[in-house]
Amino acid sequence: MSISVEEQSAPKSQAELLYEAQLRKERRFRVNVAITWGILLLILVLLFSGPIKIDGEFVRKNMLYIAGGLWQTVLISVLSIMLAIALALLAALGRLSNIPPVYALSTFYVSLIRGTPLYLQIFFFFLALPQLGIQLSGLASGVFALGLNYGAYMSEIFRAGLASVSKGQREAAMALGMTPGQTMKRVILPQALRFAIPPVGNEFIAMTKDSALVSATGFVHELMWRATKVGRAQFHNLEALIMAAIFYWIMTLILTFIQNKIEARLAKGDR
Amino acid sequence: MAPIISISKLDKYFGRLHVLKNVSLEVPEKQVVCLIGRSGSGKSTLLRCINFLEEPSYGVVEVDGIAVQSGEKSKAHHQLIHAVRLKTGMVFQEFNLFPHMSVLENVIEGPITVKGMNKDQAIALAERNLEHVGLLFKKDEYPLRLSGGQKQRVAIARALTMEPRVMLFDEPTSALDPELIGEVLTVMKKVADEGMTMLVVTHEMGFAHDVADRVIVMAEGELIEDGKPDAIFNHPKDPRTKALVERRPLST
Repeated sequence: MSISVEEQSAPKSQAELLYEAQLRKERRFRVNVAITWGILLLILVLLFSGPIKIDGEFVRKNMLYIAGGLWQTVLISVLSIMLAIALALLAALGRLSNIPPVYALSTFYVSLIRGTPLYLQIFFFFLALPQLGIQLSGLASGVFALGLNYGAYMSEIFRAGLASVSKGQREAAMALGMTPGQTMKRVILPQALRFAIPPVGNEFIAMTKDSALVSATGFVHELMWRATKVGRAQFHNLEALIMAAIFYWIMTLILTFIQNKIEARLAKGDR
Repeated sequence: MAPIISISKLDKYFGRLHVLKNVSLEVPEKQVVCLIGRSGSGKSTLLRCINFLEEPSYGVVEVDGIAVQSGEKSKAHHQLIHAVRLKTGMVFQEFNLFPHMSVLENVIEGPITVKGMNKDQAIALAERNLEHVGLLFKKDEYPLRLSGGQKQRVAIARALTMEPRVMLFDEPTSALDPELIGEVLTVMKKVADEGMTMLVVTHEMGFAHDVADRVIVMAEGELIEDGKPDAIFNHPKDPRTKALVERRPLST
């Protein structure tokens, strides 16, 4: 007993000291990680300024041209993610349906799309459909292919979101007299969508990079297309691809930052 | 006077399990009925069959003149179920408040979405009922910030705001910490005193004893005893009732 009295009269309690030590440890970890990142970046920069010859003149001349592809990349990604969200939601709802054709359509779509490569799907829209008399632009082909592809994968996210809403929520809505449609719209979906926001953000970030595949159609002048164009023409693929990589990376960093902010805000609302 | 709830020859199967066996029950208006019995005796299922959260396998449920024959799938059948749900309010063990809506939004959701009431009218009604359960000052909070007892009182206000003829309570205090049970029972007693017809599935023997007009004991899917609280608690006939009321001391 006397020991505990002495401890309490001390300026800092045991718990407080332990907590501070814990904080110090966490801070030290973060600092060391940041330092290592800095060193790795430095090595990369040194590598390209010394042993690997970079043509600075080429970089200066073509930087703006390649960067001009950014907005096409963003456009494709935004259009595709909107299509993907709509399809994913429909597919997820179809998975919950007890009408056999609806359930079948949903599972068939997901299975077919997940069973074939994205690269093939893009070419299918761009090269195979014209044979059937359907001519799509490179951009439209890319958006349809990316949207369909991501929609199939993202349907699992929405399915999990819908499953995360407890059975009691549905029952409470039904007991109030809501129709199944009202229950879905007013009670289930708002909760499911909230659950889905962070993973959908991740998918969007992934999509901005997969949008590079659309360059293969040769008709969408996004980042990757522009980089390969100038790189091949002047045999400076190294510089061109490095520039494109930096642009993709920066874009991803920005999106990840926004994503973290949104996630933190959502988490706050949960407390 | 015709009973407000009339259940006749109700059977319910869960798969091969026979959970309600030919149950018939009539409840006159303004009566407060407590359904007691051990877990698995079928009392919650019986309650949930009244507003068709469970579809009975056989039998007829009639609420305030609307009779629904079970086992049909027609559109008319669904309309009847909807009409019955408008006449019944339900309070759940797990509260089931909508977490994405504030307290007030929870309470006005039913009148606006289901009845098409205009918003001002719904808010006025909701605020009156929240006042009634003593939680008007929490109207802008979200359910996550409420205690269990407060959540359940909001759930009661939500059900009352639909102005039902009958209130169904499915173990309303079973998920609560012991110190929070009292506030919910107090509100329920208030609702009973105002003349609401109530069916309460509960383990709170004290509440059943003090507030109920009638206590029904269930065992193995049947109603085994039905009478005034005094008769059930002080002169139980069935040995299963005896075991039940002896095992649980009265809380008051």
